[in-house]
Amino acid sequence: MNREEAPGKSPEEMYVQQKVRVLLMLKKMGSNLTPSEEAFLRNYAGVVHSQMSQLPQHNIDQGAEDVVMAFSRSETEDRRQ
Amino acid sequence: MSMQMSEADGAMKVAEWQHTYYTSDSGIQSGATTLRDEDETESSRKFSATCTVVESNADMEAQYTLTRAQRVRAAMFPETLVEGETPVAAAQSDAPQQSNVQRLAEPSQLLKTAIVHLINYQDDAELATRAVPELTKLLVDDDQVVVNKAALIVNQLTRKEASRRVLVQSPQMVAAVVRAMQSTGDLETARCAASVLHNLSHQREGLLAIFKSGGIPALVRMLSSPMESVLFYAITTLHNLLLHQEGAKMAVRLADGLQKMVPLLKKSNPKFLAITTDCLQLLSYGNQESKLIILANGGPESLVSIMRSYNYEKLLWTTSRVLKVLSVCPSNKPAIVDAGGMQALGQHLTGPSQRLVQNCLWTLRNLSDAATKQEGLDGLLQVLVSQLSSDDVNMLTCATGILSNLTCNNARNKALVAQSGGVEALIHAVLRAGEKEDVAEPAVCALRHLTSRHPDAELAQNAVRLHYGIPAITKLLGQPHYWPVVKATVGLIRNLALCPANQAALREAGAIPRLVNLLLKAHQDTQRLGSSAQQTYQDGVRMEEIVEGCTGALHILARDPINRGEIASMQTIPLFVQLLYSYVENVKRVSAGVLCELALDKHSAEMIDAEGAAAPLMELLHSPNEGIATYAAAVLFRISEDKSSDYRKRVSVELTHSLFKHDPAAWEMVSQVARM
Repeated sequence: MNREEAPGKSPEEMYVQQKVRVLLMLKKMGSNLTPSEEAFLRNYAGVVHSQMSQLPQHNIDQGAEDVVMAFSRSETEDRRQ
Repeated sequence: MSMQMSEADGAMKVAEWQHTYYTSDSGIQSGATTLRDEDETESSRKFSATCTVVESNADMEAQYTLTRAQRVRAAMFPETLVEGETPVAAAQSDAPQQSNVQRLAEPSQLLKTAIVHLINYQDDAELATRAVPELTKLLVDDDQVVVNKAALIVNQLTRKEASRRVLVQSPQMVAAVVRAMQSTGDLETARCAASVLHNLSHQREGLLAIFKSGGIPALVRMLSSPMESVLFYAITTLHNLLLHQEGAKMAVRLADGLQKMVPLLKKSNPKFLAITTDCLQLLSYGNQESKLIILANGGPESLVSIMRSYNYEKLLWTTSRVLKVLSVCPSNKPAIVDAGGMQALGQHLTGPSQRLVQNCLWTLRNLSDAATKQEGLDGLLQVLVSQLSSDDVNMLTCATGILSNLTCNNARNKALVAQSGGVEALIHAVLRAGEKEDVAEPAVCALRHLTSRHPDAELAQNAVRLHYGIPAITKLLGQPHYWPVVKATVGLIRNLALCPANQAALREAGAIPRLVNLLLKAHQDTQRLGSSAQQTYQDGVRMEEIVEGCTGALHILARDPINRGEIASMQTIPLFVQLLYSYVENVKRVSAGVLCELALDKHSAEMIDAEGAAAPLMELLHSPNEGIATYAAAVLFRISEDKSSDYRKRVSVELTHSLFKHDPAAWEMVSQVARM
């Protein structure tokens, strides 16, 4: 736990921390940020740095999974030669 | 010709047989072989030895002992009489040297030959008719030598059509042969008896006689014989029964025929194996229990081994037919795949036999959903890509289907197919498919797989555009709607939109209005039922899936600013906000995602807020799905940028209670701050 950031955190600081996390997650999922959001992240680079290690490592939103098609529903018979 | 059975020994009995029309050596004593003479005139010689016709009293008497056939022969075809005989007709005897005119006046040689055959036929039939009762008794004699000789004679009788016809009409005779076959300890007797049944099985009456005489269980027992010829006769006879005799399949199954046949797959004679595999196909087609018996006896491994080891086309074809039948069985399917079936079948896709290629393809298609994790399929995948250029619709159906499944969740296969020119080939298959859904759907699914979830996905996304695939793919969203194809296409478009270079091409192909219209239609269909318990299916596809797919595609398309504007201009925001209330989690995710992108534009953000999106979005902050919670938070941040600090604080409090609950370390950090 990083106590250096913990003590005396104001609601504003909490808001910053949460927003940084949300924006970093958005980037991870491939979404765009507004210019002001990009500037926000630059302004709070320290918080960004601390949050980066907290992000989940797996892919979050990759769209629908691959699905097999079941072809073997019925037998087909061919003409006996 | 009466037989004194209690007194004569075997040789005597046989000797008595020789005082018949068959005065030539049949080989019973001497061991000489006889020949099939169905088409030969050699049989005519047999009747000549006893035909001696003269005008003396003795000759007259002798003449009366001749059969009608012999008298006809002597009168009409004296030249067919052998030395020692004299012709009857004075006219013929007076003119040993015929003139040209006389020769021309005679019947044609063909007609004469036909008549000779008829005479012989009648003789054969008469003989057999007289012999059958006696032979029947001999076949059940206690003396095995007698049985053996009788079996030999009966075997020879079955080689001629006339006598064979007489035999099949005697159920007692056939039953005696069956009994002799299964009860004898002498291999030669068993061989003869099996040969008899084999010969009889070429006629319908013979098949019926064998069937009614309990021949099937006896023949199945013969499948354990150490003698190869017995095996051959038994399997061939059973094959004929299975092909043409009603009730034979059930009888073979009841006699445990499958359990005896499957081990025979280890034999090495290709022709024998071809008949055996055909028997297995006949028995297992449409019969689940038979398929399980084949599985339990190691059938898949043996059949795959045959496909790997032989070149005889007929054997490969019959074996592929058995594998095709087994490939629809959920239990056999993984066994075939584990035995290397995909690789073995794939060996035969480029050969000259079209029927073999097609059977292998159908089988591979059936097996493919169980083979997504198989290794060593590189060669197969490359051949399938090359077959995508075929004009044969069956080949296209199979190749696209197999490729679709083998690229499912398999990054290696995806990369290999993409590197082998699979993207371009699949696009061409889509173009040629037209309205053939069995080709279009798997082709689009395969492209969808290639364009996501592997390191070369972006290359594939670009390749679709570079090979002019985007207009063709977008067209698949048009009417008439075949919903499985629509669903697959929507997913592919979503993947294509991940590549920024494709965004403009998709817009120009008209993807956005098509997707929006499909979304509206599908959503209206789901709303008509008005209950989450009821789901709307069309062509086997739920309309909720179409809603999810279209919204998901629009989400990614909205990453492009021009596309974003076009989507918003089509009055879609109210619908997306409404979808936030869906009971389907994926629909919530994609609708939150598209609103997140649209909210990048201030005007759209205001519209989203005006539609009352804040309330459902606040709820979605608590979603256990990280993607949903993140999108919801992002939209709330974007619509609250110009809001009061109290509003932002409320958002923050909600975030605190939801966003960090999946992140214990961060939650602990925030909690400690709250306690201080």
